[in-house]
Amino acid sequence: MLSRRRLLQGGAGLALGAGLAGCGVGNIDKGSKAETEKPIRKRIDGDLVYFNYSQYIDPELVKGFEKLYGVRVRESYFDSMSAMMAKLRAGIHYDVIFPSAEYVQRLRAGFLIRRIDRDKLKNVDTVYPHYDDPWYDPNSEHSTPYGMYATGLGYRADKVTGMTGSWRDLGEADSDDRSFLLDDYQEAIGMANLVNGHPLNETDTDKLEESKNYLVDLKPKLRGVSADTITNMVSGNAYIQHLWNGDIVNIRYGVDNPEDFKFQKCREGMPIGSDNFVIPVNAEHPGTALLFIEYMLEPENAAQNVEWIGYPMPYEGAATEAFQGLVKDDPEINITIEDLEQGLQYENLRGEGRLAWDEVWTEFKVS
Amino acid sequence: MSAFDRPRFLRVFVAVFFVFLFAPIALVILFSFNSSRSLQQFDGFSMRWYETFFESESLRDSLIASIEIALVTMLIATVLGTMLAYGLVRARTRWSDTANVLMLVPLVTPEIVAGASALLLFTQVGLELSLTTIIVAHITFSISYVTVVVRARLAALGRQVEDASMDLGATRWQTFRLVTLPALWPAIIAAGLLCFALSFDDFVLSFFTTGESPQPLPVRIWTEIRFGVRPTINAIGSFMLVISILSIGLALLLPRLLGRRESGLKVLLGREAA
Amino acid sequence: MNENRFATAFLVPGGLWLLVLFVVPVCLVLALSFGYTDDLGEAIYSTRLDNYERLVDPDYLPVLFRSVGFALAAVVLCLLIGYPVAYYIAVFGGRWKNVLIALVVLPFFVNYLIRTYAWIAMLGDDGLVNGVLDSSIRFINTPWAVIGGLVYGFLAFMILPIYAALDRMDPALIEAGKDLYGSPWETFRHVTWPHTFQGVLAGSVLVFLPAVGDFVAASLLGGPEEVMVGNLIQQQFQASDNWPFGAALTIAMMAFLLIWMSLYLRAAARETKEARA
Repeated sequence: MLSRRRLLQGGAGLALGAGLAGCGVGNIDKGSKAETEKPIRKRIDGDLVYFNYSQYIDPELVKGFEKLYGVRVRESYFDSMSAMMAKLRAGIHYDVIFPSAEYVQRLRAGFLIRRIDRDKLKNVDTVYPHYDDPWYDPNSEHSTPYGMYATGLGYRADKVTGMTGSWRDLGEADSDDRSFLLDDYQEAIGMANLVNGHPLNETDTDKLEESKNYLVDLKPKLRGVSADTITNMVSGNAYIQHLWNGDIVNIRYGVDNPEDFKFQKCREGMPIGSDNFVIPVNAEHPGTALLFIEYMLEPENAAQNVEWIGYPMPYEGAATEAFQGLVKDDPEINITIEDLEQGLQYENLRGEGRLAWDEVWTEFKVS
Repeated sequence: MSAFDRPRFLRVFVAVFFVFLFAPIALVILFSFNSSRSLQQFDGFSMRWYETFFESESLRDSLIASIEIALVTMLIATVLGTMLAYGLVRARTRWSDTANVLMLVPLVTPEIVAGASALLLFTQVGLELSLTTIIVAHITFSISYVTVVVRARLAALGRQVEDASMDLGATRWQTFRLVTLPALWPAIIAAGLLCFALSFDDFVLSFFTTGESPQPLPVRIWTEIRFGVRPTINAIGSFMLVISILSIGLALLLPRLLGRRESGLKVLLGREAA
Repeated sequence: MNENRFATAFLVPGGLWLLVLFVVPVCLVLALSFGYTDDLGEAIYSTRLDNYERLVDPDYLPVLFRSVGFALAAVVLCLLIGYPVAYYIAVFGGRWKNVLIALVVLPFFVNYLIRTYAWIAMLGDDGLVNGVLDSSIRFINTPWAVIGGLVYGFLAFMILPIYAALDRMDPALIEAGKDLYGSPWETFRHVTWPHTFQGVLAGSVLVFLPAVGDFVAASLLGGPEEVMVGNLIQQQFQASDNWPFGAALTIAMMAFLLIWMSLYLRAAARETKEARA
C-alpha cells in the first residue's frame, strides 16, 4: 500500500511538473517596460504597505510619517531576500520594499519595480554621488539607497589577542575558541575568495574549490556558524564574530562595556552592500511610497534613523555626521567614501556560477 | 515497599522537572519588567516594555490576529482530527491504510516545506493571502497532531463499552455522543490545547502564508529576534503566557459553564458519563 | 455494514481536507523538485533530474544520520523525563491533576524562540548559570545543547498523550497488578506499560518526526558540526533561493521518514487488533 501510494504520488508529481514545465512559481504580473516607466505622482494615495527587515527603521519616524500625512503604515517583515522575493512573487501588493543591491538588479531585469523620478524628491542631492549611477541600477532610476553595510570581524578587544587586520584572524587569532563565522553563503564564500587572493565574486571551479577547502579547514577552529551575531557577542559566547558593521553598533547598545567591542576592516578586502528603497510594479499606493522615501531623505529624519538602526545611511550632512558620532572611538566601523570607491560588492551570479556557490556552501555545511 | 505507596523519589523528580521547565520562563518574565535593556542584569522594575508593546498598534493587531488564528484552528482541527481518529480506529475499509498514511505525512513534512508548498498552492490557484490562508494552512498541519493523540486514547478504550451501549438499544450516533465522546474528552482537550499552542507559536508556516499585514506575532518575533532580543520581546512572551493561562483556565471550566451538574473536572476525566 | 459505514463517514471530512490542502501542495513540491532556478532566482517547473543527481552523494548521509540520531535521543529523553511526570500527575495528582497538567503545558505557550533565547541567556558563557557557579562551562554550541533544545521544545508532545492514556487506566488495575505481581517493576511491566503503550507510541511519533526536520535548535544552539536536514532545507528556501533543490531534499527526507512511519503504523495497528480481540 505504501509503495503504491508513493508511486502514484511520484507519477502525479512528474505529470504535474511536466504540465507546469516552464511556469514559474510566481503569480506577480510581471510588468512590461512601459508599466515600470510610468511616472509616479507624488501624492498620498492611501496607506503605506511597508515590507522590510525587522528593527530596521526607527518606529518614531514611522509614527511621524503617519501623523504628518494622516495615513497608516502597515508593516510586515522578512528575514532574508529569498523570503522577500517569495512573498513578492506570490503577488502581494507592497508599496515599498528594501532589496539589496543585487536584488535591485534582479527586480529591474524582471520589470518588477517602478521608476522613481529622483528630481521629484527633495534632498535627493544629499545622496552620495557614488550612488548616482550604480552598477545595479543605471542612473539610479529605479531605486534610492537606504542603508549601507560593510562586512568585517567584530571582536572583544579585552579578550582577544593576535588580531592582525586580516580575514585569517577568524581562525588564527586567540579567541579562547569563541569564533563564529557568519551563516551567509555570500559572505562566507566571498571572504574565502578574498583570503585566497581571488576576486570577491570568483566563480571559477578550481578557485572555488580552494575557497571551499579554506572554509572546511576553518570549521574545527570555529565555535559556530551563525547569523545571530548580536546575541552571540552580547551573551559572551562569541569573542570574534564575522558580522556587519551596524551589528557592532547594536551590540554596543546592549552591553555594559561597549568600548571593548571593536570592528576590524580586513585588508584583503571589505565587502560593502546597500539596502535600497524600491517601489514594486504592483504597488497600490506608489504615491505614498514616494512621499515616504522623501520623508526618510530629510536630514534630521535620516540622522535620527541612523542612530536608531546603527547602520550608516549614504546621505551627506546630518546622516553622515550622526554615524560618525556613533562610532567616534572606533572609526573602523565607519564607511568612508574611499571605502565605497574601493569597496567590493556582491554581484548577481548567473546560472552556473550561482549553482557553484550553492554547492560549495552545501558541501561546506555537510562536511 | 512499592513506589506506589511512597512516591518520594517521583515527587522530587517532578519538582525538579518543574523547576527546569519554568526556569527560562521565569527569566523571560523577570526581564520583561527590567527597567534597562540589559539581559544580564536586572536593573529595577519597570513596565516600559509592556507600554511599548501595547502602544504599538501593529503589535496589538498581530497579537489579535494570532489569537484568532489559534482559536479557529483549534476548533476546526480538533473536530476534523477527532473524526479522523475515530474513523481510522473503528472503520474497516480499503481506504483505511491510505487515510493512515495521509494523516501521518504532514508530520513528516518539515514546516518550511509546508509553508512553501502552501504558498505554491495558493499562488497557483490565485488565492490572495490573508488571515484565512494562514488558518487553512494551520488546520491542515494540526489535524495530524489531533488524530495521533485522540487515536491513542481511542485504541486503548476498546469496544466493550460501546458494544454494551448498543446492545442496550442506543443508536450508533447516541453511542458515539454519550459513550465514546465523553471517554475521549481528556484526549480531545489535550489535543485542542496542543493545537492552540502549535498555532499560537508557529512562525514558519505563518510567514509563508500570511498576507501583507498583520503578520502573526510569532512571525514578528522570528524576524526580530535575530537582531538581538529586545526586552519588548520578553514582554510579548510574558503576555502570551497570560493569554494561555486564561485559555487553559477556560478549557478546564468549560464543562461546568455548559451547565453540567457534575463537576466539570470529573467529566474531563471521563469518570462519569455525560 | 452499517457500523462500518458510520465509522467510514467519519473519515471523510478530515480525509478530504488533507487530500485537497495537503496532498496537492506536496505534489507541487514534488513537481518543483524536478525544476531549476532561472537567472532571476525564480523557480521554474521542469522535468530535470539535476537536483536528485546532486543528492546521490554519500556526503549527505552523515547529516541524515545525525538528524535521526538527535531526534531519537530527543525521543528517549522525552520518554525518560515525560513518563514519570505523566505517571505522577495521573496517579498521584489527586485534586491537583488538572492544575499540574496545565502547568506542564503552560511553558509551551510561550513562544519557542523566546524560550530558546532565554536558555541561551541562562546557559551562555557569561550567563546566569555560569555566573552562579562562577565557572565557564560551555553549554551552548554543543550537540547536547541541540538535543536539550529539541527535548525542551517537544516535551509536551510526549507528556500529553501518555497522560491521556494513563488517566484512562482504572487504578484498581494497578492494585490488582500489585497483588498479582508483587513488585512495582513487574506491575509496571505487565499492567501499566501495555495500557499506555499507544500513548507512548503517539508521543514518540509526535516528537520524532518534527524533530528530524527541525532547524531552529541546531541553528541557535549548535556548533558548526551540528547541521541537520532541516537546516539544509531551510537554507535552500530562505538563503540560497534554490527552491527546486530544497524540494528535492525534502522529498528525499520524507521518503526516508516514511519508512519509520510505516513501523509506527504497524505497531499501532497491532495494538488496535489486540484491543479489539
